[in-house]
Amino acid sequence: MADHAVAHAVHDPNIGNTGLDNRKMGMWAFLGSDCMFFGSLIGTYLAYKGKSISGPLPHDVFDIPLTSYSAALLLASSLTMVLALAALQQSRVKAAGGWLFVTAMLGLHFVLNQVYEFTTFVLHHGLKLSTSLFGSSFFVLTGFHGAHVTGGVIWLLILVSLAMRGQLDARDYTKVEITGLYWHFVDIVWVAIFTVIYLIP
Amino acid sequence: MADPQATAAAHATEGGHATVRTYINVAIALAVITAVEVASLYIPGIPSGLLVSSLLLMSAVKFFLVVGFFMHLRYDHPILRALFVGPLIIAILIILAVMALFSAFVLLPRVVL
Repeated sequence: MADHAVAHAVHDPNIGNTGLDNRKMGMWAFLGSDCMFFGSLIGTYLAYKGKSISGPLPHDVFDIPLTSYSAALLLASSLTMVLALAALQQSRVKAAGGWLFVTAMLGLHFVLNQVYEFTTFVLHHGLKLSTSLFGSSFFVLTGFHGAHVTGGVIWLLILVSLAMRGQLDARDYTKVEITGLYWHFVDIVWVAIFTVIYLIP
Repeated sequence: MADPQATAAAHATEGGHATVRTYINVAIALAVITAVEVASLYIPGIPSGLLVSSLLLMSAVKFFLVVGFFMHLRYDHPILRALFVGPLIIAILIILAVMALFSAFVLLPRVVL
């Protein structure tokens, strides 16, 4: 095990003393810190839940079928992301690029659904960031998640363009794996948000 | 320069990643759990406590399926597991602490001197 790690360290400057890829460790550390960030936002939403003195209230505005559809989109995108990684592992670069593109499009669809949801809340229900405690905590939490998804879509599209130009191959496995870690993280954050914010009455 | 296939194979065997079949099975399980979650909202007569606890349980199962299989944490090095699970526990404690702090203002009886 140690010999294996040393051999890797000699050939790959990204492998540190632990035998692990520094970029991968850095991403896991970032995701850990992001967990605490979203923990604070979810905690704040729950602390303010039911304390708004004016409407509209959550059950007035939430569109559960639309949000369930969005949740399904993100879960499907997690599958296409691992399929991209599996294809790259087998050196099927075109297939990997294709799966990455599908992942980006599913993510983009999620973001567009969120834009539609926010627009409906503002224009049809009069719920804005400054309307009530519910408005503030809801928009900040889901807005930051949406920003994470948008960042992920841009990152995925960069990888797709690299694949299209022939600048992505099996040696870039860790790059794609790290992108996948980030992408799955935005998925699990949505799993928590979907249940805690939308489903629990 | 390293052989691409050898590099990818090395990465694959290092972590002992799941197969495509496993990924698809996990995705099916996630879809079924999500469908049950949403359907449970439309079933009348479920006690509130049971509904909330079952929704939280199903959400936790989905969370750990994605982290364990799609993010490969189940197969990865313990250091990486610690880097994520440690802050995750802190995040859960933050949620509980913030909720307790805010509820305390409403729920605790006032001391009359």
